[in-house]
Amino acid sequence: MDLLAQAGAGLNFWNAPSGSAELIIKIVLALVLSGAFFFGLIAAPANLRRPIVGVFTFLAGLFYVTYWLWPSAIARDPGQAPLNPVEGVAFWLEDALPQVANFSNILTAFLLGLGVYSVARIHVGKLVKRQRDWEFSLVLIASMLLMILFGYWNWFNRHSPTGGLLEDPANWHFQQFASDMLFDGLLQQMDAAMFSMIAFYILSAAYRAFRIRSVEATILLAAALIVMLSLMGAVAYKWGNNSFIQTHPNLSLEAIAGWLSDNVQTPSIRGIDFGVGIGSLAMGLRIWLNLERQEAS
Amino acid sequence: MPFDLGSLPMAQIYEGAQYLDTGWFSRVFTLVLVAFVLLNIKRAKSGKDLYIRRIAGLNAIDEAVGRATEMGRPVLMVPGLSGMNAIVVQALNIFVYVTRLCARFANPILVCCADAAVYTVAQEMIRDTYQQEGAIERYDTDSVRFISDRQFAFAAGVSGLIQREQAAATFFMGAFYAESLIFAETANSTGAIQIASSTETTQTPFFIAACDYVLIGDEFYAASAYLTRQPILVGSLVGQDWSKILIAATALAGALNVTAIVGPFTGAQATFEKTAGVIAPVKAPRAVAPSDAFMQHLLQGQGGAMISKTLTKPQRPKDPDYHPVGGGS
Amino acid sequence: MATPDSSIGAKLQSLPRTLLYLILLLATSLPLIYGELAGGVSVPNQPLGAAVDFYAALMKIPPGKTVLLETDWTNSTRGENGGEFDAILRILMARGIKFAVFSTADPQAPQVAMDDIATINALRVQKGQKAYVRWTDWVNLGYFPNSEGTLNALAGNLATAFNGKKDVKPGGGLVDVFESPVLKGYTKLTDIPAVILVTASATSTVMIERLSGKVPLDFMVTGVMGPETQVYYSSKQLEGLVIGLKGVYDLETLMKQGLNGQGPDAVPSQKYAGLDVPPVNDNLGTGKGSAYYPTLHFALALLILAVIVGNVGMLLTRKRTAQ
Repeated sequence: MDLLAQAGAGLNFWNAPSGSAELIIKIVLALVLSGAFFFGLIAAPANLRRPIVGVFTFLAGLFYVTYWLWPSAIARDPGQAPLNPVEGVAFWLEDALPQVANFSNILTAFLLGLGVYSVARIHVGKLVKRQRDWEFSLVLIASMLLMILFGYWNWFNRHSPTGGLLEDPANWHFQQFASDMLFDGLLQQMDAAMFSMIAFYILSAAYRAFRIRSVEATILLAAALIVMLSLMGAVAYKWGNNSFIQTHPNLSLEAIAGWLSDNVQTPSIRGIDFGVGIGSLAMGLRIWLNLERQEAS
Repeated sequence: MPFDLGSLPMAQIYEGAQYLDTGWFSRVFTLVLVAFVLLNIKRAKSGKDLYIRRIAGLNAIDEAVGRATEMGRPVLMVPGLSGMNAIVVQALNIFVYVTRLCARFANPILVCCADAAVYTVAQEMIRDTYQQEGAIERYDTDSVRFISDRQFAFAAGVSGLIQREQAAATFFMGAFYAESLIFAETANSTGAIQIASSTETTQTPFFIAACDYVLIGDEFYAASAYLTRQPILVGSLVGQDWSKILIAATALAGALNVTAIVGPFTGAQATFEKTAGVIAPVKAPRAVAPSDAFMQHLLQGQGGAMISKTLTKPQRPKDPDYHPVGGGS
Repeated sequence: MATPDSSIGAKLQSLPRTLLYLILLLATSLPLIYGELAGGVSVPNQPLGAAVDFYAALMKIPPGKTVLLETDWTNSTRGENGGEFDAILRILMARGIKFAVFSTADPQAPQVAMDDIATINALRVQKGQKAYVRWTDWVNLGYFPNSEGTLNALAGNLATAFNGKKDVKPGGGLVDVFESPVLKGYTKLTDIPAVILVTASATSTVMIERLSGKVPLDFMVTGVMGPETQVYYSSKQLEGLVIGLKGVYDLETLMKQGLNGQGPDAVPSQKYAGLDVPPVNDNLGTGKGSAYYPTLHFALALLILAVIVGNVGMLLTRKRTAQ
């Protein structure tokens, strides 16, 4: 059954030869059916909404849970048929996985449209009503439009039959230069600038917060000092470049920092990770089985 | 005794060991954890009173909202950077609680989203909360915003909002990455009271340095149980604690096991070893190593494809419907 | 309200932010400029075990094989990831290992990676070496929006995970990547000798979840991600690990010296005793690690100084209050 598994380029129930009337009919039919389904969901009475959401959530989760629990067939080469029914299911699950992953990709793409709508509504509104800080909104809307325009223009050129030529900047046109300027010249640099601000914030936060107010804070500060010094190769080299450390290699800065990292930091992170992992397992379970509901005060 | 896979009927039916040794232990272990959670949910539902310890960061929520109300400045919430997942749902659950307080006191709110799916869900949940509080007229459609799905564009957008709107209380809950400190320091500079939590362990220190209250690790997941005391959530939390005890016990058993075989008997010779998922006599004589411990055998060498190299390849028939990838139209 | 405290202790505890920022700006930019003018500064170094393992793992991959190179970083973390990516490219190119680039974290990442490949290629051509040709030596698989789904599919079947992906064939437009010399004949994940991840994002944990135990994994992460990734290295789920700028510098030291080599700066390794892991003599000059490492020294020194100043201020204030 090829309900989800459309692996390979073979023709099956879900597709048809490129450009054929059959394919167009199938696409139109799919659109009509999904439209009807969509409006059907909107029209569903309020008391049915929870069960509907619950059923969909359960089915979506069931696929991944089965995929994870079902014995997976090993050493499978393309073009092989399953040996037995257990393998049959394993093959089917494996083949269906990319299609199921595509569902969420498609959904995300649609939702991005809603996000863009939110941005546009808030900022166009601000611009039109000349509300406070409307200048920022103007910059935002202009940047968005320019990026879309040149991004797609460049994309279409690059995906044309002669797109390969654009690998060489000597063949670039205005749209390629504009897109490069917006992407590499502006966006990337602003990204980097934003990230580098963290260095300043780390300095001011450490300066303000790192005080030895208690025994614990003192131990923490000492550990931090050792780790920071061990990252400074020149300091670590100077520290270790004497006969005492050379005969007691466990006292080198790298060795102490390594010990702290392996025996103090790693176990505590593991502890926290276990807690977080189990927390998200329980959360996922409650969502999957529809046990999670909004709290009523 | 060596474990003879061939003598098992399953192995004969299914051509070798591949169905027996593909990580069953982790599956069973996880199912036990799932059972713990479900069992405790059942216990809590049947009216058993379960205890949760005090969590300072969650007690401070009321104080933070109260102060924002006094100052007449907005409360800003960010559910992290991730797409729609369990972490975000948990963050939004906490934000629903915060919004409920804000709706009662007619305090403005701002929810900033970095993912379009999260934005849509957040909008629904926040509007529902206002409706439940009978204060739908106070709900501002612009209070839940999609800013950008680019990490640093989002960081810049949210920092700008914190500065311009002079947020009096900020809640950063969910999966935060490098932007955590940008948010926290910006909000610190406006004097906001900050409650934060990141499921990313590496960002927690940044929040601790710059925020007033931080939920560490799974305290984040305990939040909704703590705030609402719903039996399902409290039960689930107790189940999580049972699971943690089981994991700690397994780790301890492993440590004792390894110590017992390597510690006092150093120099003893290994007879059997588990390589590539199969236990077999050692090829060359060698001393006992930690990898020979039973607990290690249980937890390691069960990975899927790694073992396939050493096992006989199953001879499968050809699939008549197969079309090679890339060879189609 | 109490009157503002004007003692030295109080002043030391409340240095203006702008002053701190200005000092940091100078402390980080001056060494960079000096390093640029002086043509690189050499700092003595002892590579960490994780980086040594990473180097040894890469050096044992047979030439001509194809590795998967997931690149999940953009310009924002180029200070660390850029150096890591340069180093990995130089090793792969010098050893004649083919690679397929893809990203599951950021739509911009493949473009950033391609810019970097072009830069290293230009450098190779300038030094009279053979350029690494797209399609024959490497391919770009592009961006996959769903990290969990993609890596899960990859764990199942390489051919299905990258099904339908096309790349630019010289003179031939867009062609299915599985027809390229890079991926031809590769169907399963086990055909790949290693998956290398250069990342600044949480895709590292996704990869551990989905691919651990199925293929050798080698990670290159930012300094901030070091502690959390170290966990997987010490549990042997990672073959090798390069962390942040120090990791890049470690790798560049190893590329220059090899393991257990001769000479004053040789890197000795007990673990790889008797194993000949040669240096990578690609003659392309010093990398970003060597260029940025001195700056890290000054930034860390300033951080330590700031913490000391704050604490001295606190102690002085306490002493004054006690009097």
